[in-house]
Amino acid sequence: MPAKASPVAVAAGIRRQLPWARTVFWLYAATLMLPLLWMFGMSIRPNEDILGSFALIPQRVTFENYQTFFTDPVWYSSYLNSIIYTSMNAVLSLIVALPAAYAFSRFRFAGDRFLFFWLLTNRMAPPAVFLLPFFQIYQSVGLFDTHLGVAIAHMLFNVPLAVWILEGFMSGIPREIDETAAIDGYSLPRFFVRIFLPMIRSGIGVTLFFCFMFSWVELLIARTITSVDAKPIAATMTRTVSAAGVDWGLLAAAGVLTIIPGAIVIWFVRNYVAKGFALGRV
Amino acid sequence: MLEWMVWTPPTALVFVGLGLLLAGMAVWAKISPPVARRGFLRIETDRGDRLYIGLISAAVVLTVWIAVTDLSMWLALGCALLVALVIGIWG
Amino acid sequence: MTGERLNDVSGDVSGEVSTAGAVVAGDRVEPEAPVGAALPRDEPGGQADTKPRNNRAWFLVLPVVVSVAFTAVIPLMTVVNFSVQDIFSPTDRIFVGLDWFRSVSRDPEVRAAFVRTLLFSAQVLLLEIPLGVAIAVSMPRHGLGVPVALVLVALPLLIPWNVVGTIWQIFARGDIGLGGWTINNVLGVNFNYTLDSTDAWITVLIMDVWHWTPLVALLAYAGLRSIPEPYFQAAQIDAASGWATFRHIQLPRLRGVLTIAILLRFMDSFMIYTEPFVVTGGGPGNATSFLSILLSKIAVGQFDLGPAGAFSLLYFLTVQIVSYVFFTVLTRTGR
Repeated sequence: MPAKASPVAVAAGIRRQLPWARTVFWLYAATLMLPLLWMFGMSIRPNEDILGSFALIPQRVTFENYQTFFTDPVWYSSYLNSIIYTSMNAVLSLIVALPAAYAFSRFRFAGDRFLFFWLLTNRMAPPAVFLLPFFQIYQSVGLFDTHLGVAIAHMLFNVPLAVWILEGFMSGIPREIDETAAIDGYSLPRFFVRIFLPMIRSGIGVTLFFCFMFSWVELLIARTITSVDAKPIAATMTRTVSAAGVDWGLLAAAGVLTIIPGAIVIWFVRNYVAKGFALGRV
Repeated sequence: MLEWMVWTPPTALVFVGLGLLLAGMAVWAKISPPVARRGFLRIETDRGDRLYIGLISAAVVLTVWIAVTDLSMWLALGCALLVALVIGIWG
Repeated sequence: MTGERLNDVSGDVSGEVSTAGAVVAGDRVEPEAPVGAALPRDEPGGQADTKPRNNRAWFLVLPVVVSVAFTAVIPLMTVVNFSVQDIFSPTDRIFVGLDWFRSVSRDPEVRAAFVRTLLFSAQVLLLEIPLGVAIAVSMPRHGLGVPVALVLVALPLLIPWNVVGTIWQIFARGDIGLGGWTINNVLGVNFNYTLDSTDAWITVLIMDVWHWTPLVALLAYAGLRSIPEPYFQAAQIDAASGWATFRHIQLPRLRGVLTIAILLRFMDSFMIYTEPFVVTGGGPGNATSFLSILLSKIAVGQFDLGPAGAFSLLYFLTVQIVSYVFFTVLTRTGR
């Protein structure tokens, strides 16, 4: 449902009961950042320093690792690959999930609850064995090693989630609005695009964020159905082991860079999340 | 193109059976829409829910059976169908 | 479309009446915080009982079904086919019936991994759900703190899973990692996740809590923000204590988001693979060899498609049962 409450009043309600909570929260946030800061620290140190000894503050600072990342096409192209298929996946998931979520939120139809749970079960298949058939399918339909292929494969686990989240937002919009629009002569598609979509804007934002996130972090499937042209950054990162051992500095630099796109996305949807959503029943 | 799916007659039969079952349920729903009610499972279910619960329970019976006894699997299948039927009718 | 769907309302009414009654009860507030009567009923028309029945809605759902079926059904069928055969090549294979199911379900290693994974998931849920809700309650609600807090909390979620593993592999090391070093040298406890099985387990568990509690926190935070103001005003008028307000106003409103959170956390923790694989590789010994790690050892390492197929079907069945139970309990009871 949409947030109708004034945030300040809600805040007052909660602030009153938890005066110490804010401090605890910022302490938690700081703890959360420690491993990330440590990784950042590694990314600006030469390898021999990382493995040599424990040091809170890096003694020698170098940007060589980042330089390597941006000059080696294997690294930066796989980074771009990840961004491309992740964005495609988020958009595709949204496009197919919107009408479905509308159907779930507005109608009862034969097998609706069953269908919903079936969608969800697709998140539950352990990937290890499914990887081989995945590889075979994508090979036989010619989507192997393409961005579109990975985007479609990731819809498997993103679409159910997108339907669920969107359905929650849509159920918060009273059905009288649909009916009024129908009386005013809006066709369903026109109503949907002109009136309904703007009303669930925050739902769309939140959904895009979650789709982006789950697609961005997934490795096993993406690695299986790609080889060169659409290879994800995460897969490139598993191959930094050379004769000289693991290149920790470069790995850390790539790790730092993988956080950035997601951080940008969350920055754009921050207001939507902050507005709140409850997600009704199904 | 599909030889990598390594089909066998028994598994094909199982999937055809499942497909027919779903189609049958869809036709049945068309003829008389399912009605949700409460049975011994204590939750509100319509016949589709009970079919799902029944199938899953049958699978559990088969799994437990194969994991603990060496008795015939046909007996297990009988028990599993019985469980599914009981859930379907009174669940 | 709108015209037809109005016709068929009657079909549902009889079956759904009990739900309608129970929905009201779902919003109830216990006597300690007697605010229920004064509250406005939100979600106008959003209740399940008034939805018209219309099978044409299937056309709207079709794109989802097609797109998901393409990548879900065919692989599932293939794995079922794997599970009943001994496969040497697509043309050279023998039908073995249920033999793989028998051997896999009786394998002590599989059973140990099953118990281990179940234990891990239980610990993950018990730690992450309350912690996530607590964080959400204490997050800032207005001002510049909100976006900063949201971005900080979301960061761990945006890191590819193998990178999470890599981060913790170094971070938890006693000699060069901040976490391990602190435990060894500041707390004075001997900690080495590569040698000690308890330490390895704790490392993986803490890594998961670090990685995934933010998801619970974000969902719970969004849920909290959606609670209408009058609920709090009513609570204030009644001078309800902080705990009573949380227990009877905030917590019930979080059910929807927490259902998602619990399901996602259960599924993902029960199938956790990449992170522990990178950090511990399942070791030391078998200490952190969860079902998925064992499974991919059989499927990818030994390329035994038959046993791996049977294994993953049993695995799939387990996840499905537990998820269905959670799903049913969370969405249908108390309404």
